[in-house]
Amino acid sequence: MSERANVVPMPEGEFFEANRFAGKSALFGILALIGIVLSVVGGLVAPHQFAYSWLFGFAYFFTLLIGCFFWTIVHYAVDAEWTVVVRRQLENIASLLAVMAVFFIPVLLLRHHLYEWMNIPRGQEPLLDSKRLYLNMPFYLGRCVLYFVFFGAAAFLLRRFSVRQDRDGNPWWTLASRKLSFLSLPLFGLCLTFAAYDWLIGTDYRWFSTMWGVYIFAGAAGSSMSLLVLVITALRSAGYLRDVVTLEHYHIMGKWMLAFTVFWAYIGFGQYMLIWYANIPEETQYFIRRNVESWNVLNLLLVVGRFFVGFPLLLLRGPKKQPLKICVIAGWLLLMQMLDIYIIVLPALHGTGVHLSIWDFVPLLTIGATLAFLFLRVLGKASLFPNRDPRLIESLYLVN
Amino acid sequence: MKTPSGHDVYGIGAEYPTAGALYEAAKRVRDAGFKRWDVHSPFPIHGMDDAMGLGKSWLSAPVLAGGVTGLLTAAVLEFGPSSILYPLIVHGKPRNFWTVPAFFPIMFELTVLFSAFSAFFAVLIMNGLPRWNHPVFNWDRFTRATNDGFFLIIEARDPRFTEVEARQLLEESGGQHITLIHED
Repeated sequence: MSERANVVPMPEGEFFEANRFAGKSALFGILALIGIVLSVVGGLVAPHQFAYSWLFGFAYFFTLLIGCFFWTIVHYAVDAEWTVVVRRQLENIASLLAVMAVFFIPVLLLRHHLYEWMNIPRGQEPLLDSKRLYLNMPFYLGRCVLYFVFFGAAAFLLRRFSVRQDRDGNPWWTLASRKLSFLSLPLFGLCLTFAAYDWLIGTDYRWFSTMWGVYIFAGAAGSSMSLLVLVITALRSAGYLRDVVTLEHYHIMGKWMLAFTVFWAYIGFGQYMLIWYANIPEETQYFIRRNVESWNVLNLLLVVGRFFVGFPLLLLRGPKKQPLKICVIAGWLLLMQMLDIYIIVLPALHGTGVHLSIWDFVPLLTIGATLAFLFLRVLGKASLFPNRDPRLIESLYLVN
Repeated sequence: MKTPSGHDVYGIGAEYPTAGALYEAAKRVRDAGFKRWDVHSPFPIHGMDDAMGLGKSWLSAPVLAGGVTGLLTAAVLEFGPSSILYPLIVHGKPRNFWTVPAFFPIMFELTVLFSAFSAFFAVLIMNGLPRWNHPVFNWDRFTRATNDGFFLIIEARDPRFTEVEARQLLEESGGQHITLIHED
């Protein structure tokens, strides 16, 4: 039942005891170090393969973090109530975006393996020359700097404002965050769209799709909501947020997972069908490459697994109100997002079929372990929920 | 049972000053074991389903049936002529099952259309609509239900209904202007 009249909110907040999880933290640290060493080896031994593997790992975690950033700014922009108790975790995850700038360095170092347009001199390829106004090195670097400065700074400021409010309870911080979010929403849309073009479509300068940015966004928003469910459940099973996050919050998070499962399918299908139907060679080549040989199997698995499995499960009310079940679905959706990014990045390298390499896993380990290590550090720095947010009570007594 | 004016009794109603009072009253009526009763407010009250002890609505069943019917209708209408009765090659697309992406938009639209129709008509049937009048409008104060009034009405056809017990329950829960409502 959702009647919780007896629960008294704790104005002092709840704090993560970093010492209790020092073992886990050390484990992630060691894994990250091993990953970094292996990455350096991979970059030197098999730079061509490793470049694509790294881009895959980088893009996967980037979409997860950027999704959390999206949910934070949407929370402020629409003055949402229900998000308050889970918002700190969104802010914690999004604040790691600045770290992604470091993980972008290998992409830059290995750029000649990834981005063919950087290797072709001017005047050789008319199709490319017509795109030089956008695809040129100074502009590309400028854009990358802009993305990381914007995402890093905005995520940092939003978290900082929110943590400051924990201390003084001044509603001014909420208003400041709202203004920052209004500014961030259009910039977020532009930066994510162009980052998706630059980093993911960039591996094939001939191809284009106007729905690409939305497609990446749809996958990012849904999978980061799944990540939030897992993080919240992990904290609850460790004994935190027990009286704060209720099944009603799980229900809403599940509803958002459903919404973005449908939205992802809608955008993905819209993009596919328009290109398939028009049948123009320079557009179809992207999908032909991903629908021949063994790539076709993976692609069908993605469509079936992410939509036809995820949709009916999330449509039911029962699983959304049971943390264990929703966690299984969330984990599945995170796997599907990984598969999605894999199908986006790797066929550019292995056009003739799936060729799973050991190097595909190293970037996942490196980036994942580093982010997990840093996340545990960030987690202990502030209360686990914004304990003096003006809308905290409304969020605590949420009914939907 | 008759009202003082000699009509059949429809039920007994009470007015509450706030949404919160109505919410608490609903929990008491639920716990007293009444089944045929309802609350009326100018706006939806979050959590009222639980407070009233309402289970899951069975509306989703007709909607699912409608949606599946729509999907199958679209599949038959599209695959029937295009793949079976009169196959034609259009735009170089296959004629077998793999032409299905071209059919998705219609499948989607008919699924939505049939679901919406079945939801619409199922809601009408579930609520006993359309009808010209309802006994609750025999109570003058009830017109405030769309303005600023919060009402709880227990129907006389509830097996547990007795005027004394219902009136007492409504009084204890803080109801005002408790009135016996007559049938048309």
